[in-house]
Amino acid sequence: MNPRTRLWLVVLGGGGLAALLVAACLRLPVFGGPWHPYGDRAVRAALARHTANTVASVNFDQRAFDTMGEMTILFGAVLGCVVLLRQARDEHRDPPAPCEVAAPVRRYALIVLPVALVTGLYVIAHGQLSPGGGFQGGVVAATALHLMYLGADYAALERIRPIEAYEIGDALSASAYLVLGFAGVLAGSAFLANTLLPYGTFNMLSSGGTVPLLNAAIGMEVACAVVVLLARFLDQAVEIEEGSGE
Amino acid sequence: MNGWILAATVVLAVGLGTTLWGVATGPLGRRVVAQNLSTALVCPGLLLLSQGYSRTAYVDLALLLALLGPVGTLVFVRLLADELGDNPPQAWGPTWVAAGVGTVVVAVLCAVTGPGRAMVKLLVIGALLVGGNLLASRALSGGFPGVSRD
Amino acid sequence: MTDAVVVVALLAVAGCATAAVANRDPARQALILAVLGTSLAVLFTVLQAPDVGLSQLAVGSALTPLLIMLSVRKVRRRSAHGKDSRQ
Repeated sequence: MNPRTRLWLVVLGGGGLAALLVAACLRLPVFGGPWHPYGDRAVRAALARHTANTVASVNFDQRAFDTMGEMTILFGAVLGCVVLLRQARDEHRDPPAPCEVAAPVRRYALIVLPVALVTGLYVIAHGQLSPGGGFQGGVVAATALHLMYLGADYAALERIRPIEAYEIGDALSASAYLVLGFAGVLAGSAFLANTLLPYGTFNMLSSGGTVPLLNAAIGMEVACAVVVLLARFLDQAVEIEEGSGE
Repeated sequence: MNGWILAATVVLAVGLGTTLWGVATGPLGRRVVAQNLSTALVCPGLLLLSQGYSRTAYVDLALLLALLGPVGTLVFVRLLADELGDNPPQAWGPTWVAAGVGTVVVAVLCAVTGPGRAMVKLLVIGALLVGGNLLASRALSGGFPGVSRD
Repeated sequence: MTDAVVVVALLAVAGCATAAVANRDPARQALILAVLGTSLAVLFTVLQAPDVGLSQLAVGSALTPLLIMLSVRKVRRRSAHGKDSRQ
């Protein structure tokens, strides 16, 4: 295909997409208006199941199957990264020289690391009550561990991060989500249906039926996945050298 | 529109406007400084917004930004050490202005909130925000002698 | 009048995104991307979507810059290594 035809193809596709988007925008409800057909129904369903955060109810109860798909996407993406960024036959590992970090930065990292870890767990645990949830908290907790790299060096991070444990944790939490879904089937209702547990008291930590459990599974999955992903990137950027060794 | 949202609009407009100009133009050092200041100025804006919408749960956003913003700057300090090493950027004027804005906003919100768990959370956010940004700024300006890179 | 803060957030997002496209150096793009992340979080907050805002903050403020800068570092080391072995 010559560049001229390609350009025409892009113009044609882009023009068609733009026309469709404009047509769709013209039929949208007005910005900030009072009419929310989906929102009203979602809020009613969330309140019926004693879940204070409607977004958590949509993610882990009303649309729990969609969340399983998103979890699978992340799992597959990390799996692909692990395969692509593995140590190839013509590469060797060259442990980087120890790095000296300024004392204030080291102290800051050591103080903030536990605070960020606890914040991540707090965001996961309060997913059904306030903004946040498994994904957000998991990313924060995983980022917190990497303060060890910023505050010291890669060897220090590797000591607190046995990568096999995180790979196993990733797989275990992904299957925990599936097991919770099948538990619904075994209990006589549908896959991922929120009928297993009592709904609890509204606005308490243990409310919402299976929502907190699915939330915790996603939190662990995301935290482990991000740690494994960053480990591959750090390996490539810091340790793995080309050439098959001296 | 209440006063809190007006104040948040002013802080966010000035903060995001200046840091966008700083991060999009000029030498690399100035850009990293602008990135650091963007978190230092947006975090007070988010606190003011949470007060303006009277939703205490929105404070979590400011908490996350106060925690992770300086971490992001430290990532750039660590991985751009080669480029920044020759002439480390100095920007103490803007840094202290941003720290001052953060302190004033947290103090005012503490006075409005009154003693309690919400006030403790605000104080933690304030300490993380001001401490983190001053430290990131100092690490950026090469204020720590005898540091080698790996 | 309440929409003023929405307009500010939208302008900041549009400005950051344009600047990120206009720059060619990956390290500078990563810096602009970090600011774009915080602007997007502000936009989501003023549109009353704090859950999405939290996701954006968690991913955009430290994780994305770290991933991009590690890739930049690997590419630079690789080209430096290639030059050494050729010389």
